[in-house]
Amino acid sequence: MQEVKRKYVIPGDIVAEGNFKPLGNVFRNGNSIVATRIGITESNKDGTKVIPLSGIYFPRVNDIVIGKILDHSSLSWSVDINSCFSAHLPAQDIFGRDFSPAHDDMGSQLSSGDVIVARIAIFDRTRDPILTIQDKDLGKIPTGELLKISATRVPRLIGKRGSMIQTIEQATSTRVTIGQNGIIVVSGKDKEGTNLALNAIHIVEVEAHTSNLTQRIKQLLNVPESDVENDDTQNNHEINETPMNDDKVISNDIGKEMGMMNSDGTK
Amino acid sequence: MVQNRSLIDESGKRSDGRIIDELREVKINVGIIRNADGSALIEFGKNKIIAAVYGPREVHPKHMALSDRCVIRCRYHMSPFSTDTRKSPAPSRRETEISKVIREALEPAVMLEDYPRAAIDIFIEVLQADGGSRCAGITAASVALADAGINMRDMVSACAAGKVDDKIVIDINDTEDKEGGADMPVAYMPNLKKITLLQLDGELNPSEFNTCLEEGIRGCLKVYEIQRSSLMEKYFGNEKGLKE
Repeated sequence: MQEVKRKYVIPGDIVAEGNFKPLGNVFRNGNSIVATRIGITESNKDGTKVIPLSGIYFPRVNDIVIGKILDHSSLSWSVDINSCFSAHLPAQDIFGRDFSPAHDDMGSQLSSGDVIVARIAIFDRTRDPILTIQDKDLGKIPTGELLKISATRVPRLIGKRGSMIQTIEQATSTRVTIGQNGIIVVSGKDKEGTNLALNAIHIVEVEAHTSNLTQRIKQLLNVPESDVENDDTQNNHEINETPMNDDKVISNDIGKEMGMMNSDGTK
Repeated sequence: MVQNRSLIDESGKRSDGRIIDELREVKINVGIIRNADGSALIEFGKNKIIAAVYGPREVHPKHMALSDRCVIRCRYHMSPFSTDTRKSPAPSRRETEISKVIREALEPAVMLEDYPRAAIDIFIEVLQADGGSRCAGITAASVALADAGINMRDMVSACAAGKVDDKIVIDINDTEDKEGGADMPVAYMPNLKKITLLQLDGELNPSEFNTCLEEGIRGCLKVYEIQRSSLMEKYFGNEKGLKE
């Protein structure tokens, strides 16, 4: 398969011509593959796609998301997951199969305003997403600073093999929980570290598509070059290497972050 | 329509000093409204128009939702201070109609089936009007949709052409609209080469019609270049073009 140049595109731009498989944010028009979003094209032997630079979160099965409990009915909680659909967390997920609205008090477990880390268990085009908190490291988040970034920036915040988020966590002594829906919880021992982490995350969001971002974040946080593992600052075009839309890699990284949050500080 | 005075002088200049195939100065600022998912401010000559896009988001009331695609809700509104004499802020017949035609001009470009049971809200607020505000509104709304990261088949660019003093000109301004012979707003998807809006107010013979349409499309292509450069500047700054 011929090599395709990486380029910046807006909707309607031709990404590639020929026998390429359209993977994401592109569609086929005759012999051309056309972009549907603003972003950066990326193609390999599997096909061609556009890494988007803007957009809201659209749920996918097995995504780890952070949500806020809005309300509950007699059978489920409704959860705001920063998407065009509100998600549902069935009461049976917490109380087990013998849940009975008459005997079990749903308010005792989760009440409105609580923030949870959950996994999207079921979702398709016809129904709202169903969540579960029955996996490892999922559940209620007790404390922390909540902030929202664009969901398209989440892979950049995690970085190549988690490099970016590790840098921020180590330099600020905080724990950062990232949901793929762009909601982030930062918890730290002192206000100063938390504020520094929030500031760094904000910079990552604003400058996500620029080169040498990890290096600039390190400068901001006063991290010496050798202190952080998985250093990717040698690469002048980091974004080229960042698997921004690769579900599997993101899930693994998120899993790792969740592990970091709840374990005894071991990575 | 009765023409009282000549709108094109002997040297071929129009009432605002342009030649017949010249656009007014167009400037687009992307992402000017923080609370919106996507937004744009367009200055199309003396027109100043803000477009803001929200969504895809939940549909309320729920019965408006469609199970296989999303709905687009569009509101074109002129501010009371946008014209010489105060315009009532209540939606007029004209605004309701323009909201509808703008929605229908944008719908073919948006991949509605990607967002079932959701809604995309487009607000177009005219701050200052000077003729051709529906075209400028479509142009700004298309940029705002792209800024919101909504899947689109192509951008939509719009520009009017028309007849003034029996000459076909592009980008009709307010005076030419009121005193000229014909006004034809055209919205066009430049890469797919498809027309999404075609209206005509006035009289044209078949050959004039064809010329007018061609000129309108040529105007759209010029507008497209400006849309493109404004989006590129917002997202990629100076790092334009190919990246190896």
